[in-house]
Amino acid sequence: MAYELPPEVYSPHLLESVIYDLEQYTDWYRQTRIQRKVGAAAASQPEPDHSAETELVIRNHFGSQTPTLETLEGLLAELRALKLPEIHVKLAAMPNHEQRRVLVSWFHTNISSRALISFVADRNLGGGIVIRTPNHVYDFTWKQQLMGGASKLAGIIHRV
Amino acid sequence: MDIIVLISLAVLILILSIVVVVQSLRLQKLHQDLLRSQHTAPKVSISQPNADQLQTRLIAAYDTEITKSVAAFGADLHGTSKQLTEQVSRLTTKVIEEELEAYQKTLEEVRQVAIQAMNQIREAVEHQRIELRQGMEQELATERQHLVEKFDAKMGDVISSYISEALGSGVDLGAQMQFILTSLEAHKADIRKDLTDGV
Repeated sequence: MAYELPPEVYSPHLLESVIYDLEQYTDWYRQTRIQRKVGAAAASQPEPDHSAETELVIRNHFGSQTPTLETLEGLLAELRALKLPEIHVKLAAMPNHEQRRVLVSWFHTNISSRALISFVADRNLGGGIVIRTPNHVYDFTWKQQLMGGASKLAGIIHRV
Repeated sequence: MDIIVLISLAVLILILSIVVVVQSLRLQKLHQDLLRSQHTAPKVSISQPNADQLQTRLIAAYDTEITKSVAAFGADLHGTSKQLTEQVSRLTTKVIEEELEAYQKTLEEVRQVAIQAMNQIREAVEHQRIELRQGMEQELATERQHLVEKFDAKMGDVISSYISEALGSGVDLGAQMQFILTSLEAHKADIRKDLTDGV
């Protein structure tokens, strides 16, 4: 069964961030274990910080079990091997947290629960949304609407 | 035409002169015949009364002959003059008619040539006008198409710039969310299919 990311890890950047955090954590875990084995007296390095999304991934994956070096590396391998469909969303401004949640929820509900969603902003759009999938670009912007009605605009200009 | 009239008049004068000469010759011949008869006639003694009577008769006969000759000459001259006048008139009329006919013919030819030239000029002008009009219409259509294409090409930039200027930095995604979700809902089947095919 394919690995299921939690909905909070909805973008490629968040996934990369989680993988990076896990890599850091795995390295720290490996060094700490080695130091314990050799009984090093030197103070071990502090546990690296990780994001809430990384915490969520670890909790979802391990549950109440204590992670080991092998299970951590296994999780990392699974995450690196993920081939998830990506959807790039362009808006007139960067959406806030709630707006992102609404859009991500819509895509996961209506398109694919495994899709990764990335957001970029372009003020020239004015309004609406541009969706880029692997094979197509869907332009639902105001600019496109206006361009699509170019003949109407020309008619209006002619009448005026 | 003047030359013909002059020639006709000269001929008339020549004919009259010939008539005068002929009559003079006839009178002279009569006179010579009389003299010859006087010389050749046998001497006849005629009494004075008879001689006077003969003289009177001869004078009367001579006068009669002269009168008859003058009358004949006058009649002949009148007839000849009349014929000449008629001939001259006929010739003049014929010449004038021929000249007029030739003049009319020439005039008609000139008129036909002028009409033909005018038609050719008119056709050339019309042809030139049509060519100019077609050229201008073609140029106008090309320019119009060029302007339309330019307008279409620049329209995106114009709209983008206008939207950016009009909205400034106050883009409210919250107000657009309904429009965005409606647009996505309308095309979700296509997006889903595209995403499925792309993986």
